[in-house]
Amino acid sequence: MRIVVGEGSCGIAAGAHKVYEAIEKLGSGIELGITGCIGMCFLEPIVDIYDKDLLACRLVRVKESDAQTIVQAVKSGDLTQLSGLAITEDDKSFLDKQTRIALRNCGIIDPTDIDQYINAGGYKALEKVLSMTPQAVIDEIKVSGLAGRGGAGFPTWFKWNAARESNGEPKYLICNADEGDPGAFMDRAVIESDPHNLIEGMLIGAYAIGAAEMVVYVRAEYPLAIVRLEKAIEQAREKGYLGKNILGTGFCCDMRIKAGAGAFVCGEETALIESLEGKRGMPRLKPPFPAQCGYNDQPSNINNVETFANVAWIIQNGGEKFAAMGTKDSKGTKVFALTGKIKRGGLVEVPMGMTIRDIIYDIGGGIRGDRKCKAVQLGGPSGGCVPYDKFDTVIDYKALAATGAIMGSGGMVVMDDTTCMVGMAKFFLDFTAKESCGKCVHCRIGTKRLLEILDRITKGEGKDGDIELLEELCDGVKSGALCGLGQTAPNPVLSTIRYFRDEYEAHIKEKRCPVGECRDLLTYTIEKEKCRGCTLCAKKCPAKAISGEVKKPHEIDKEVCIKCGQCVTLCRFGAISVR
Amino acid sequence: MEKITVTINGKVCSGERGDTILNIAAANGIIIPTLCHHYNVKHYGACGICVVEMENSPKLLRACSTVASDGAVYFTESQRVIKVRKIALELLMSDHEGDCRGPCSLNCPAGTDCQGYVKAIAQGDNRHAVEIIKEKIPLPASIGRVCPHPCETACRRAHVEEPISIAFLKYYAADKVLASDDPVIPKPESVSGKTVGVIGGGPGGLTAAYFLSLAGHSVTAYDAMPKMGGMLRYGIPEYRLPKSVLDKEIAEIVSAGVKMENNIKIGTDITLSQLREKHDAVVVAIGAWNNMGLRCKGEDLTGVMGGIEFLRKVALGQPSGIGKSVAIVGGGNTAMDACRTAVRAGAENVYVIYRRTRDEMPAEDIEIDEAIEEGVTFKFLTNPAEIIGENGKVSAVKLQVMELGEPDASGRRSPVPVEGKFETLQVDSVICAIGQKVNVSGFEELELNSRGIISADEHTFATSVPGVFAVGDATNRGASIAIEAIGEANKAAMVIDGYLAGMDTPYRKPYVSERNTEDIDFSRFEKCARTKMPVRPAEERKHDFKEVNLGFSEDAAIAEAKRCLECGCHDYKDCKLIKYANMYDLDADRFAGEKHSCFVEKKLEVIERNQGKCILCNLCVRECKEVAGKGILGLVDRGFKTVIRPEFRDSSVISGCADCLACVDACPTGALKFIGNKK
Repeated sequence: MRIVVGEGSCGIAAGAHKVYEAIEKLGSGIELGITGCIGMCFLEPIVDIYDKDLLACRLVRVKESDAQTIVQAVKSGDLTQLSGLAITEDDKSFLDKQTRIALRNCGIIDPTDIDQYINAGGYKALEKVLSMTPQAVIDEIKVSGLAGRGGAGFPTWFKWNAARESNGEPKYLICNADEGDPGAFMDRAVIESDPHNLIEGMLIGAYAIGAAEMVVYVRAEYPLAIVRLEKAIEQAREKGYLGKNILGTGFCCDMRIKAGAGAFVCGEETALIESLEGKRGMPRLKPPFPAQCGYNDQPSNINNVETFANVAWIIQNGGEKFAAMGTKDSKGTKVFALTGKIKRGGLVEVPMGMTIRDIIYDIGGGIRGDRKCKAVQLGGPSGGCVPYDKFDTVIDYKALAATGAIMGSGGMVVMDDTTCMVGMAKFFLDFTAKESCGKCVHCRIGTKRLLEILDRITKGEGKDGDIELLEELCDGVKSGALCGLGQTAPNPVLSTIRYFRDEYEAHIKEKRCPVGECRDLLTYTIEKEKCRGCTLCAKKCPAKAISGEVKKPHEIDKEVCIKCGQCVTLCRFGAISVR
Repeated sequence: MEKITVTINGKVCSGERGDTILNIAAANGIIIPTLCHHYNVKHYGACGICVVEMENSPKLLRACSTVASDGAVYFTESQRVIKVRKIALELLMSDHEGDCRGPCSLNCPAGTDCQGYVKAIAQGDNRHAVEIIKEKIPLPASIGRVCPHPCETACRRAHVEEPISIAFLKYYAADKVLASDDPVIPKPESVSGKTVGVIGGGPGGLTAAYFLSLAGHSVTAYDAMPKMGGMLRYGIPEYRLPKSVLDKEIAEIVSAGVKMENNIKIGTDITLSQLREKHDAVVVAIGAWNNMGLRCKGEDLTGVMGGIEFLRKVALGQPSGIGKSVAIVGGGNTAMDACRTAVRAGAENVYVIYRRTRDEMPAEDIEIDEAIEEGVTFKFLTNPAEIIGENGKVSAVKLQVMELGEPDASGRRSPVPVEGKFETLQVDSVICAIGQKVNVSGFEELELNSRGIISADEHTFATSVPGVFAVGDATNRGASIAIEAIGEANKAAMVIDGYLAGMDTPYRKPYVSERNTEDIDFSRFEKCARTKMPVRPAEERKHDFKEVNLGFSEDAAIAEAKRCLECGCHDYKDCKLIKYANMYDLDADRFAGEKHSCFVEKKLEVIERNQGKCILCNLCVRECKEVAGKGILGLVDRGFKTVIRPEFRDSSVISGCADCLACVDACPTGALKFIGNKK
């Protein structure tokens, strides 16, 4: 039997490596390994026990102190003693409705061992491609219908073809791994858990466009991904998959990593190129497109990690098989990072065409605390929200766009009835305003002004006409901003106004936050009938806002109250009301 | 080069393949506005002003960088384009920290470039100063003497110690140039063939006549009085404005092409309609020459007269009949002119009767001080209750004693009678200087407002009769100061010029950027006292009508002019930002919010960079890098906090500056300023 500990960043953060060390210490002689992320963040740390190649048992939420039991069970061969740690049938269903292509090896193989990737069928696609013409490769990708998974959904074959047909040598193939959307971690998981899949996908792309140099632009906040990718590159070079004369075919191509310094806008391809060139990360005007004039003014092709992660599979299994999945306009699968007020949060890969409802309820298990679901935010700060009554919308580029949201790179934040939608829009605007590079007027000042207006609305200082002002400014910023960051920044505002205009109106006209989330709009009062005059709240109030005599009803001075909520938590009689 | 054809705003334009929409449009006479593009550097695309719409394209294109496609159809001024441009400009202005024009100019009803001429005086160039003044005021020496100078009221130097003596500087420069052999007398550049009749030869009428004449029209000014000048001649006493000065300035207006006809009274000598028929346009600038009555018993007695009536008589050399003791009622500048003139006319006891206290007096402080010096007695908190007569002639005035009550709408405490408390003053005459009325006889066909004053449109100055315009004291709000009439006449001249060309060009107040005075730190300025105007001693001057003021010496004038803080932007006339802001009719306040860091960088030795006026077009950075090959400047920080600093905040790079000024030349706003060569 073999013990495998899930050591993605999420697992490690939950304590997986400590579990690994504890098992290692106690279990000499037991075969112990690691794997990447299986996607079940809500169950980390996860320990899998394999009997030969079969998963015999999956243990979840494992603690260091469980190591003894695990080692004992494995040594004795009696896994029944681990039933308390084993995953429930219900939680197992998290994987049932998923179809894994990009994530096919994630959480299964050891990402630090190239042989495990090869044993899983890795680098076979590269071998196959090297006997094809570059045009045939592009044709196969065209058949598959693969579109850019970074958010825009542009047909991959078209970009490859444009770069291939573009004059100029050398050409570059670049992978955009500057995953910056808050709450998104698809790319990180792929690099940490299956780096060779990325390398192979990129090599196929490089062969197709005729590039001899590949760069992975990965954000410096992903140290583990960088370490694992560095190791994978080394291993691939040793095995002859990277470097000169690959697999004896004469194809030469090497790869390097560029760590980005953490600017969100560098996920925009032209800003990424500027940053690669050592300049300030600011977008360039398009046209010219990178395919004509990109990195070092040479033809360059840029794809996202997830896009490349599908390529080897497509070559191996044929474009038609990929295209058989999904809808008329959107083919294959899409990875989502499911977060927010969801029971089973994590990384999911589903075929295009699945409804949002199925993802949230069947895979995600529904809303935490069985509260009412309000909406889901797709596409992070560039995206929009889809309200609960539109949850039958299917995962499809066009269908999602019709709701005002976007497919995006895969962030899926679930909100329940305690989320203020104005506050949510403000949260995302705060993010984009801070991440604006400062180059163009509409984004630099426009997002700042949008944020200021949202801020005053949530503080109860909204004015009549603010909604219309927001709409007009959003429209101006969308049309006038230079790059995708600015052009999409207003989306969270527009879509929340579209579906939750009443919430905006309540804030502006009634100075009231309907869900009671905007602190400035809350009033704390003590209900005289319920207060026993125990003085506890008065003693503990950090602002000294509560006064009253012992055994007599107390009062809160609204001018002094800082609305910290301490009194509500402390009061044993439920005497404090918040409105 | 291969030629392509595109359609821009419906016009078929040809250009070279590979050229941008912006360049092809420009070559075909269509100007697309842009702030961040400059021909000698690579396109950048930051400002978003140059956006244009392409037929069948959902996205707007940046004309500066987008290569035109053969056969494409572009629109450079479509509604969508204008909306996006307007929002960009509104956003830029909401984040702009600077004064386009100084508070002095903004507060001048004529919009005179005070800062400009004060600077010229500081540099010793009086003639240039007068050129600047004459862009707005054709009578600088006269106005410099009599103007109550709203410019000085607004002057920010007051926050350091005292305002600049702007009006007297104008008087100084104008006198110098009048006395020189090189006067400033502009001539019309073209001849329109149109004629204009101006009724009224006061400051308003003369200004309208002057500017309409310079615009190429044949202008005749008509006046009922024997000489031109209006209230400047017949209302302002000689000791404040010597008529020899006024005569010279009027002569210059004649030299500028204005024909003048005096002793013509409308309704008597010629009717308004006859004059209208005679000219292509008529300007009515008749002023307000009637006195408001006292409305108390005895006001019909001989010896009761109006302030301006009294002043006019003295100006005309007629006997005034005021006697030895005279009471002047009122607290404004006319009351001061009247009391000081009475002193000079030989009255022994001159009283000013004012129902409030000195603090509430609308007259200028200096006038009150000089009146007191000349022996005038002020009876504050009194009001005429009755004028007592003997044989139909004034013998005394009975005064009701007043006290100050609650503040009224104007913020001044209103006077209330103290019941039963009176005093009596033995006087020979009572001069009433409590306000003026318009005498509209002869102008009955014009529509009047509820106060019996001629109605004129605020933006077009048009009256109810087509082709007849009206300005000054005779219109709308009634009597005011000369510079108000001059300001209106100046604007009206532009409107009438347009009217004569068949266009409708109403006057719109230009939009400008203004700083909040509260945000300015005045402590960094060294204190330097305001130069006092030397005057003749009271004992000497009270016996004659010679000018009280002696005028600034050259040194005094230059020292005074150098006190100017130069609040207004040096680049106002060339600034593309403000030009576009006015073109697109901004609602600039709707996005008001926090502003970016607004420091002034002086480390650049020959150049001063004002970050508050920077719009981050990055042209200075790019010029320095691409044209000068230096790379001294760079963008630092991100997002809203982005500013331009020495590259990488490394001040040592500055020493590489070659003073080529490529950055200054390219800056579309006034953010960069050349401040002198390296020592």
